[in-house]
Amino acid sequence: MSNEQQPDLARRDFMSSGAQLAAGLTLAPGVVLYGVAQAKPDDQPVTDKVRWGMLIDTTKCADGCDDCVTACKTEQGWDNQTHARATQSAQWIRKVTLRDKATGHQHSLPMMCQHCENPPCADVCPTGASFKRADGIVLVDRHICIGCRYCMMACPYKARSFVHETITDQLPHMPRGKGCVEGCTMCVHRVDAGQTTACAEACAKAGHNAILFGDLNDPKSAIAKTVAKYATTQVRADLGLNPGVRYSGI
Amino acid sequence: MKRMIKLLSFAAVLVLTQSAPALAGDSGVPMPKHALPEGKCVEDTQVMRRNHMEYLKHHRDETMHRGIRTKQHSLKECINCHVPEQQAEAGEQKDHFCQSCHSYAGVTIDCFQCHATKPEKSALFHPIVTPGMERNQSAHQADSAELLNRLAKAKQDSDSVGASK
Repeated sequence: MSNEQQPDLARRDFMSSGAQLAAGLTLAPGVVLYGVAQAKPDDQPVTDKVRWGMLIDTTKCADGCDDCVTACKTEQGWDNQTHARATQSAQWIRKVTLRDKATGHQHSLPMMCQHCENPPCADVCPTGASFKRADGIVLVDRHICIGCRYCMMACPYKARSFVHETITDQLPHMPRGKGCVEGCTMCVHRVDAGQTTACAEACAKAGHNAILFGDLNDPKSAIAKTVAKYATTQVRADLGLNPGVRYSGI
Repeated sequence: MKRMIKLLSFAAVLVLTQSAPALAGDSGVPMPKHALPEGKCVEDTQVMRRNHMEYLKHHRDETMHRGIRTKQHSLKECINCHVPEQQAEAGEQKDHFCQSCHSYAGVTIDCFQCHATKPEKSALFHPIVTPGMERNQSAHQADSAELLNRLAKAKQDSDSVGASK
């Protein structure tokens, strides 16, 4: 969050262009396409003025609910390996249950790629396949990935998976194949289209609202306001990675 | 005698030029058949034939690393336009626009081990199952030799076509 302070002028420009966009998206009388107003134009590259992040409120995360995991599977199609053992199959997001041994208090939370500001996966990648986009989303470029799995070793969150077998039924927006490492993309295809992540959407749909997605650099966004107001935690803050995914209530 | 040689060489040239088209038509590799979609491609056909791989590679990096998602040189849009919905649903693989031509030209690069081969709107996203993959899948084997298998199958196919003629 090094770029938290944005010049007011640029912001105003951005907001007015957003308003114009929103105005142009009335498809028919009474039919307005919401959410696209924030989308960047398709021909513009992503910039570091934005830092996408998620805030997970573990007090709202229901024990036993895995709607976020199911939504991720459906959205990205990563649950279609037939030969892999349970320990080998892809896991872009998982539910983790934490239990305080002293008190017996138990709660659960989703764990996925934390989209670090200083990603160790990108540090160790010998080919440059692991990289951080300007807007803070950490991705694997499978065109360059040689499947060495150094990134899986380097990731303190165990957020990455390796595809061990020939895959069929890929989705057009999410090409996947044998011999590559993969992980949460923070629904980059949706984010670029101005939408929220699939897990956040599913959580809201289930009525829990435990996952808040937004721009950490935009002081007026809900996520920036919340992290400014309430104490939130980085998992393994001691590593100094500054993850884009933060937790509250742990 | 000189005249005789001249005449003979002329006759030889004539025979060779006459038989050239016949020879070309008998190469043993069937021409790919695919219907072209209506409307205009994003570039001229000749330009696309020669340069589509460059466009795709450039666009792939722009999209992956910089988040530029224009449609002009996007592989997804190629598929959306060039793979008809009916063909996608029928699961016809051999007439696939990209794969049939790659097979004809002996190009082994395979975008479709990872990328979907069906248009976005179709409910079916099965990638092309190459003969090598099929063999490996049926045997539940690792498919590290898949490329080799596919090449062998392509050779076999062309041989059998040649033999049947």
